[in-house]
This record gives sequence, structure tokens and C-alpha cells, in this order.
Amino acid sequence: MLFAAFNSLQAQQRFPKPEFKTEYTQPSPTTPEPRGVGMEFVDVALLILVMSLTAWFAIKKRSRKGILWLTVFSAVYFGFYRNGCICSVGSIQNVALALADPKYVISLYALLFFLLPLVFSLFFGRVFCGAACPLGALQDLLIFKPITIAPWLRKTLGVLPYVYLGLSVLFAVTGTEFIICRYDPFIGIYRMNGPYLMILLGIAFLLMGLFIARPYCRFLCPYGALLNITSRFSRRHLSVYPTKCIECKLCTTACPFEAIDFPDSEKERPDPKKSTRRFLLFLILIPVLMAAGGWIGSKSHVFLSKANQTVYTAELLISHPELRKDPLNLDIQTFLASGKSLETLTEEASAIRDKFYVGSWILGAFLGLVIGFMAFNQLIFRRKNEYQANRGTCYSCARCLDYCPVE
Amino acid sequence: MNRKVIISILILLALGIIFLVVLDIRKNRTDARPDNPYALGLEEFATVDSALVKYREVLDLELNETEKRGIAFGMEKIWLIGDDYLQVISTEGEQLMKRELPGSPTCITIYQSDIYIGFTNLIRVYDYEGNQKSSWASAGDSAIFTSLAVRDSFLYAADAGKRRVLKYRTDGTLLAAFDGKREPDALHGFIIPSPYFDLAIAPDGELWVVNPGNLALENYTPEGRLRGYWNKTGADINGFSGCCGPAQIAILPDGSFVTAEKGLVRIKVHRASGELESVVAPPQLFANGTHAPDLAVGSRGEIYALDFDRKMIRIFERKKP
Amino acid sequence: MNRKIFLTQSGRWVLLGGLAYLTGHIFFKRKVSASGKYVWQIDPFKCSQCGRCATQCVRDLSAVKCVHAYSLCGYCDLCGGYFKPNTLSLNTGAENQLCPTGALTRKFVEEPFFEYTIDEELCNGCGKCVKGCTSFGNGSLHLQIRHDLCQNCNECSIARLCPSDAITRVPIETAYQIKGDFINPALIKPKG
Repeated sequence: MLFAAFNSLQAQQRFPKPEFKTEYTQPSPTTPEPRGVGMEFVDVALLILVMSLTAWFAIKKRSRKGILWLTVFSAVYFGFYRNGCICSVGSIQNVALALADPKYVISLYALLFFLLPLVFSLFFGRVFCGAACPLGALQDLLIFKPITIAPWLRKTLGVLPYVYLGLSVLFAVTGTEFIICRYDPFIGIYRMNGPYLMILLGIAFLLMGLFIARPYCRFLCPYGALLNITSRFSRRHLSVYPTKCIECKLCTTACPFEAIDFPDSEKERPDPKKSTRRFLLFLILIPVLMAAGGWIGSKSHVFLSKANQTVYTAELLISHPELRKDPLNLDIQTFLASGKSLETLTEEASAIRDKFYVGSWILGAFLGLVIGFMAFNQLIFRRKNEYQANRGTCYSCARCLDYCPVE
Repeated sequence: MNRKVIISILILLALGIIFLVVLDIRKNRTDARPDNPYALGLEEFATVDSALVKYREVLDLELNETEKRGIAFGMEKIWLIGDDYLQVISTEGEQLMKRELPGSPTCITIYQSDIYIGFTNLIRVYDYEGNQKSSWASAGDSAIFTSLAVRDSFLYAADAGKRRVLKYRTDGTLLAAFDGKREPDALHGFIIPSPYFDLAIAPDGELWVVNPGNLALENYTPEGRLRGYWNKTGADINGFSGCCGPAQIAILPDGSFVTAEKGLVRIKVHRASGELESVVAPPQLFANGTHAPDLAVGSRGEIYALDFDRKMIRIFERKKP
Repeated sequence: MNRKIFLTQSGRWVLLGGLAYLTGHIFFKRKVSASGKYVWQIDPFKCSQCGRCATQCVRDLSAVKCVHAYSLCGYCDLCGGYFKPNTLSLNTGAENQLCPTGALTRKFVEEPFFEYTIDEELCNGCGKCVKGCTSFGNGSLHLQIRHDLCQNCNECSIARLCPSDAITRVPIETAYQIKGDFINPALIKPKG
């Protein structure tokens, strides 16, 4: 007994507490358990269920009603109940960080949330977007009077998701920040709680969503950029008509997202020689665009690296040494009191900035590639005979299915 | 609603979103963050009327990186204990000797040419060359010696662990222990919330013990009876700040006390009756979160402060009037 | 349209292969946690009491609360974490208290000891009492994230701005770092 007490005293290095002469029992600090441990497994199961049902409703049953109810369910369960976190959109950052940092522990559920929608999209199209994604669900339910956007504007703004994807991966990999999480407009609304800036952002997006259908999904969502690519290779996909198109154009009125392709007319088809020439032109243009993009990216790496705390603080201390005396600047004061030298901080900042250099090159080249491909898609002719859902941008919401008169 | 109106609303919203995002980015720059609305305002106590500061810092002796535990002055040299060694340096900072010690020392005092070093719960005596002369019996497992003082053939050890002062003869025999209770039926004597429990013997032979929980300096007879005391509570310059203090003391040749406090770190001189005589080092001289420096007094009345965080000995001398 | 189907199919297999490689790489070359969660934790020894725990949490009333390690407390009459630095009288008057919400309560035990407890429903995690206790006292008051309140965001808004990087992701088994429960060599060393 005594030996154990002696040992524990030595081990804890705790200064003896007062000896109370009266009857006094000392309370102990409490450690409340987190809520919802083990719910992640249910979340993944429900995700699979919702996506499977969406695929079934869109492709087999052809029912908009089913998808509508699934959308409501997602908004309620994944949105309001699970507060929209962890979501597939943000999981990109977790996966990117896990690849870059061997010490980072990624949760299996984050990994599954990243993989499953992509795998489903390779077989059934963007069923995740259709009814499972809580961000999409909220926007989809609040479409009021969607306007059409001119194709040139739509295509130009279509670069933004790739820019956002590239930036969020860059910032995640360098350990700077999870910008998707920070600027997620809808999580404040789902939590019904949050800093006012976050809530304002959410309300602004929802107001936009009244008139532009799914603004975040169409023009910002980085995961949507990935799904856009994978969905083009899907095995099965929602088909507007069950047997044959009669070109009544009712589906195009139904689709608020302008995701239905028009058939081309005889006049638009160019001669094969011109097509081949254009094709070869792009074969050369794309690497040039990538190199140019990469070069621009590398030039902006200093600017981008300033988003990183370590880099910014190091720069601040070097260029404004008088701030060391500022007693109100908590970050600088804490840094100075921590005993870490400015040299160490500068070394760390340089290492991060080097990562940004490489990252910005890749980002720029990636964006060059994306722009090249988009131009390619625009100018290279593809024969289209019928009205059909665009594989890349159709969310499988099934609105068009109700309108199509063909049985 | 016609299309034009909708488009203008949308453009406004888009601009609004961009504005909000840029605002958020700018607001979180390291140099643009808001101040702490819950800051504990110690600034008003940090500045001291310069007329009260009658000492100036004359020299700083930089020490090497290993951790120091205590300082004492004896035989015109500075004696330091580290985590497992005894070090002697001259008053100019030159290292004269370094000897390894068997264990972790916690306190040191020098009387005539004997060095008394406390190792948590036992005391060892060394000669001026660092050779061990004797090792005394342990005072028990929960004893923690934080301060020693020797006069004639008696040694007083402050035991913070058992909240008492032990009286030894200099041959190692334990003579008595007293716990500072004011009345025999009082519940507690020395109130020691944290391991800062200091004592010192004045030039006139009187034993003074700090009672940290009462922020008092208490004068005891050699039999352990309380003869008198004074206390000063408060964060203003006249008092001792916080819940326990002063953390360290030393006594000047004229009998006044040099005190060092923790929390609001400052070194002051109080007369033997308790009034503030002067300020040696105001809080501005110390970084935030510094521990209370250990004190030693030299033969000319100069004050040696062992600054644990900056790892230096700061020497203060009285300003010429 | 055989060519189109062929291209689509091969593209699909390439993408599936890519995803499989990615997953395999993460599974075998990186750390994946399947058992239990990862939660955010404040290291009380790194905390500098900057006040951002109260202002930055996405919840209205922060999930960070002050916790009292009673075994480290000195039970002082003049508590450095309870009273303002220069109070005139040591009583429970609101004008004497540091705590902006009155969450820290004082109760007499025996002369001269007082017990200090935190009412978690009032505490906003500002750390003012922690600062007072750490500077003047034993540092028994410290801030901790209460996991029954914490939303466990993918990126903690407070962690982003913590000046001393005190908030990190830890396995749920070690969710709390309450002082006094574990060994910290820098805890309290007697200095003579």
C-alpha cells in the first residue's frame, strides 16, 4: 500500500494538496462522452441506400416523386440531424491531406464518403447529387423561378469548380486550411447556429438559389467537378425518354439546370477535314495551355502561400519587427513567449512556401488542362441526334422524366 | 418578376458573396485579429512609479541552457544548483567550478565555509570545494525542502510538503519541527498552496518565515513560537499579489527584506516592519509568465536574481542618490 | 456506336483502377482509423488563454468550458482565478469576481480553505479565471472541450486561430487532457 502511494506520488509530481481536518470529500472533474459515437456506420449505410434508391428511381422506375422524397430525407437526416458534417464535398480535403501527410489519420468514414459517390457515379451517374448530398438537397428544394443562363456564361463559370477543387487540394495538402469547410454556406443553416458571417453567406446562396437553380452545385462545388468527369463514363445513366425521342422539347422546359443536350442540325455539321484539323490543333494546344497555366501558377505561389498562418506570421515579423512590442497582438506575443526562434519559424515557412511552389505549378497546369478540354468540347463537333441528358452535368433529379410524354 | 430585375438581384447577391468571403479572409490575418475581450487586465499593475525604483540593473550573467534550480551567495562567489550539479561562478560571470551532485537539489544555503544543499527530503553538507562532508537522514517521503537557513549551529529547513519548518543541529540531528499554528487548536498553520515556501535569517539572528497563503512574513523564536508578523495583500505596489507570496525572499545587511513575487513578477524591498521601501525590478523587466526569480544578497547589499526563464543572473545595485 | 461504348468502358475501368489505387495507398501506406472517432482536444499546458475559445466556436455558447483539477488546487482564500487582482474585500460580490458570467462559485470548506467550482451552464470558455489561476495560483483551472457539446467539425474554427497550436485531433480514448491525471514533467517543480 505504502509502496504504491510512494510510487504514485513520484510519478505524478503533484504538490500535496491541503490536509482537510473537517469532513470534506473532494469532487473530481467530469469527462462527458461525445454524442453519436458509432453513428458513422449508420451514415455510410444510409448513404449507400439513398444513392441506390435514387439510381433505381431515376433509371428503372422513372419517378420524380421518389427522388423528391429522398431529397427531403437527405436534407432532414444528413442536413439537420447530422448537421451536414462530415460530407463528401469536404472529404476531398481529408483524402488530399492523408495522401500528403503520412502522420495524418483519416477516418474510414471520410474515406468512404469520398469514394462511394464516385463509384456510384461510374455506374449510375450523379445519383449522389440527385438526392443524397445535403448541400444539393437544400438548394434543390428551394428552386422557385429558375432563369436560363446564356451558354457562354455557363461554360465560363463552369471553370470555377475546378479552380475551387485545385485551391482546396492545394490548401489541404500544405496544411493551411480546409477552405471548403470554412466557406460551406449551408452548414450554418443546418446547425441553426453559427457566426453571423457564415449565416449571411448561407442566406445569400439560398436567395440566389431561388432564381438560379443549384448555384453552389453548378458553379462552385469541387466534388461536383470530380463527379462531372466520372459521370461521363457511367455504365447506365438516366435517360430522358424510355424508347424514342419525339423532339417535343418538353424536357428542356422541365430541367432547371440546362443539363439537356439539343440535337444538332444538318447545317452545323462541318466537313471531316476541318474536324481532323481542329483535333490536331488541340493536341498541340493542350500542352501549351498546361505549360502556360503552370507558369502563371508558379508566379502566384508567393501570393497563395500567404494564406498559410506560418508563412504569414513569419513574413509579418520579418517585415514589421516593431510588432514584437505590440502587447495586443496575441499571436505574435504567444509566438515570442513560446521560445521558438524566428529562424525556426522562417525555415518552416520556407518549406511550406516550397510546397506551394510545386503545388501552384501543378494547379496551374491542371487548370490549363481543364480550360483546354472545355474549349475542346466546345469546338470539336459531336453528333447528337436526340434530346438527351448531358452525362456530365445531369444530377439525376428526374424532373424531366415526368414531363416526357413518351411511354 | 421580369428577367432584368432577377438578374440585377443575382448580380448583387454574387457581389455580396464575394464581399463576405474577402471580408472573412482579411479579418483573419494575423495582424488584423480582434483583441481578446476577456483579457485579464494586469497592465495597470505593470507600470510602476519610477520614483519608487531605487535600484538599477548593472549586469546580466548569461547562463548555459541547462535548468537551474537555485542561487546563493557566499565567500564572494555565486553558487548555483542545477538539475544534478553544483556550479560556482564569480561575480563577473566566470565559471570557477562545477561538480556533479548525487540527485536533484532543491535548495541551497551557505554559512561560513559550509554549503548546505537540500535534495527534496534530505540535506547534504559540502565544503567549499564541493566535496561531500555529510548526508543527513531523510525527513520522510512527503517532505519537500524548499529553503534552508543556517545560523550558529542550527539549520532551519522549510518543508513545503508537510507544511512545517524543521530545526536541525548542524551535525544532522533533528531537534524540532513547528507548523506555524497561531493557536494550539487552530486548524492550519503555514498555508502553502504551491511549492514556494521560503525562509531566511536576518543579520540580527532572527528567523523569518514566509507564510505564503497569508501573504505574511512571520518572525519565530528559536523554539518555534511566533513572535510577530506582518502581511501585505494586494496587487498594487505595496502588497504581495496573488494567492501566495512572496515566492522568494532574501534579507539585506540592514535587515530589510528583498521579495520576489509570482504571477505579477516584481522584486521589491520591504522594511523589517513591512512598509515598502523601494522597487528593485518592476514587472516590465520580466516577460509574461516568468517564474518568480530566486534571490541572493551579496556582501555589499547588491541583489542577485536568478531569472529562470531568461536563464540569466540579473544583478541589481542601489542607485546613487 | 461501338467506339463510344468502348471508350466509355475503358475510361470507366481506368477511373475505377485509379480510385482503387488511391484507396489502397491510403489503407496500406497511411493511417486509417476505423475504431471510434477522432475528436478535438486542448492541451492545457500549451494554452495561452487568448479568449478565442469563447469567441471562435461555431456554437453560440462555446463548447469549451473551464474545468477544475481539484487535486491541484490550493483552496486559497484569495483565489487568483476567482478574484480580480486588487479586490478590497474577499467575498462573493459580483464586483470582485473575474468571471464575466459568474460561473465560478466559491464555497467555504474550513478555515482558511475555500472550494471553487464551475457552473458549466454559465461558463463561456473565455479563460480569464484560467489566466488568473495560472499566473497567481497553481494552474488547477484549465480549459477543455466538452465533447457532449462539441460538434466535432472537420476543421475546428478555434484550432485554426489558436496562437499556441494547443488544439489537436486525438483518438477518442484520450479525448480529455485533464490536469493531474497524467505525468507532465513541467508540472510543478519545487524551486528553492
